[in-house]
Amino acid sequence: MAKFVTIGERLSTTAPAVNKAFMERDPEPILKRAKQQLDAGAVYLDVNIGPAEGYGPDLMKWAVQLLQGEFDNVPLALDTSNKEAIEAGISVYNRSKGKPIVNSADAAGRIENIDLAAANDAIVIALCNGEGIAKDNDERMGYCQLLLERGLEHGMEAEDLWFDPLFLVVKGMQDKQMEILECIKMFADMGLNSTGGLSNNSNGMPKTIRPIMDSALVAMAMMQGLTSAIVNPNDLRLMETIKSCDVFKGNTLYADSYLEL
Amino acid sequence: MAFTAKSGKFSASINSVEVGCGDKKIVLGGENVLPFYTFDAPVENAPKVGVEITDSGLENEPECVKKYYEGCETVADMAKRAASFEGVDFLSFRMDGGDPNGANKSTEELIAMLKEIVAAVDLPLVVCGCKHAEKDAELLAKAAEAVDGKNALILAAKEENYKQVGAAAGLAYKQVVGAESAVDINLAKQLNVLLTQLGVDGKSIVMNVGSAAAGYGFEYAVSTMDRVKAAALAQGDVTLQMPIITPVASEAWGVKEAMASEADMPEWGDQEERGIDMEVETAAAVLASGSDAVILKHPVSIKTISTMIKELM
Repeated sequence: MAKFVTIGERLSTTAPAVNKAFMERDPEPILKRAKQQLDAGAVYLDVNIGPAEGYGPDLMKWAVQLLQGEFDNVPLALDTSNKEAIEAGISVYNRSKGKPIVNSADAAGRIENIDLAAANDAIVIALCNGEGIAKDNDERMGYCQLLLERGLEHGMEAEDLWFDPLFLVVKGMQDKQMEILECIKMFADMGLNSTGGLSNNSNGMPKTIRPIMDSALVAMAMMQGLTSAIVNPNDLRLMETIKSCDVFKGNTLYADSYLEL
Repeated sequence: MAFTAKSGKFSASINSVEVGCGDKKIVLGGENVLPFYTFDAPVENAPKVGVEITDSGLENEPECVKKYYEGCETVADMAKRAASFEGVDFLSFRMDGGDPNGANKSTEELIAMLKEIVAAVDLPLVVCGCKHAEKDAELLAKAAEAVDGKNALILAAKEENYKQVGAAAGLAYKQVVGAESAVDINLAKQLNVLLTQLGVDGKSIVMNVGSAAAGYGFEYAVSTMDRVKAAALAQGDVTLQMPIITPVASEAWGVKEAMASEADMPEWGDQEERGIDMEVETAAAVLASGSDAVILKHPVSIKTISTMIKELM
């Protein structure tokens, strides 16, 4: 089995400092956060530029070239609802360290992002969600089939569709948590890759609690077969948990220094 | 529908490590397929075969090996003779006599011998210690200095002495550093990590992950190699992508099948033949499990294994 793929989530317009840097095309704060995430062991970096109406293509190109230029063609997830921006990003993307990830498609308004990924030989995050939150796993797996078929019809390899069960917040949807974990098992049983915004589970919790909840959930989800997650790699407890789970799963070979690798 | 063979080559590969210098230098590793799977992808660097001599000269050698060194008076003479055997790619000098629990020769005496060998042959050199970790820390550090500029493989740094051996061989004199663990895959990885954290270039490390004569716990040696290669190639683990060298002679010629005389064991047949068989079988098996180099002793074994490698490449 391959090592768990961590996608660093800290380059996002939801963070005011990042948003400002994107707007002003100020490299320094972007590079600083990118470096922190890579040093902590992130494999991919998510680049969330928001909807970026109008200026999206320019901004995404700038961000891709900035990050790949500085960090040896680090692989990136291009995260925006702006399709032109994703295409523009891919047009300048160097894939020597990994295909670009299109973040994301869903089974409703963003289904065409599957086609976009297929046309550009990219990986796509396929969110098993339609309008509103899926009511159960029957619905989620229906979306999964739909998205998978759409990808295959467009010539994608199944391994390039990373299915996202949509992690739900514990505060408010505690009763849904096991369902999400069971959904991951269903993806895994079909041999599919999976990912998702795992830290969503701990939204609204005290800062001291979040690493504990995220770590527990990632361990349970990896047991179920989750192959990737969009996370904060600077959460040490979480990264240590992922590395330890990779050892238990045989994804990496144990050595006493495994946490330093 | 026509059958389309899928290539089993990996996207990761074993590091290519040069040993020696000049025309005769060799490259260990570089492959991105399982051992001898040349049908999956070309293997640029064939596994290499070395000949071993020791500081005790002919004294402890089996009779059947001694005859090939007839007329040799010094270890330098032996080194020259050994270098002329058919199929030899490199020379290995083992300083057994340094062991404080054995002959306890001084470091100065052994290093003087090593220098004579360096002057006598131009083959790539593998310099082996006495297996006593504390003595080796000093002995191999001095050896690294003595072969300055020769790009020799210093065999080896162990968990107990990796700092001294790694610093002298890898950092001060830029030799190739051997990393030795005894059929312990986790330690094999850990040692590579520790050496690189010390500042040794990972691309200048060659592993000895342990050896045994066929039939003597050999399956542990083989499964260790299998798992190292699986992690290095299939999982792309950069901390295990170092080529593997396996000293075979010191194991194969130390077991009763090779040592018992024909007088004691008439039903076992010719002693020389048995010894060669043990050495050839062990070497062939470790090569098939992923060793990139083997160290042998008997000229017939060397020729046989070197022919086998050529035929399989």
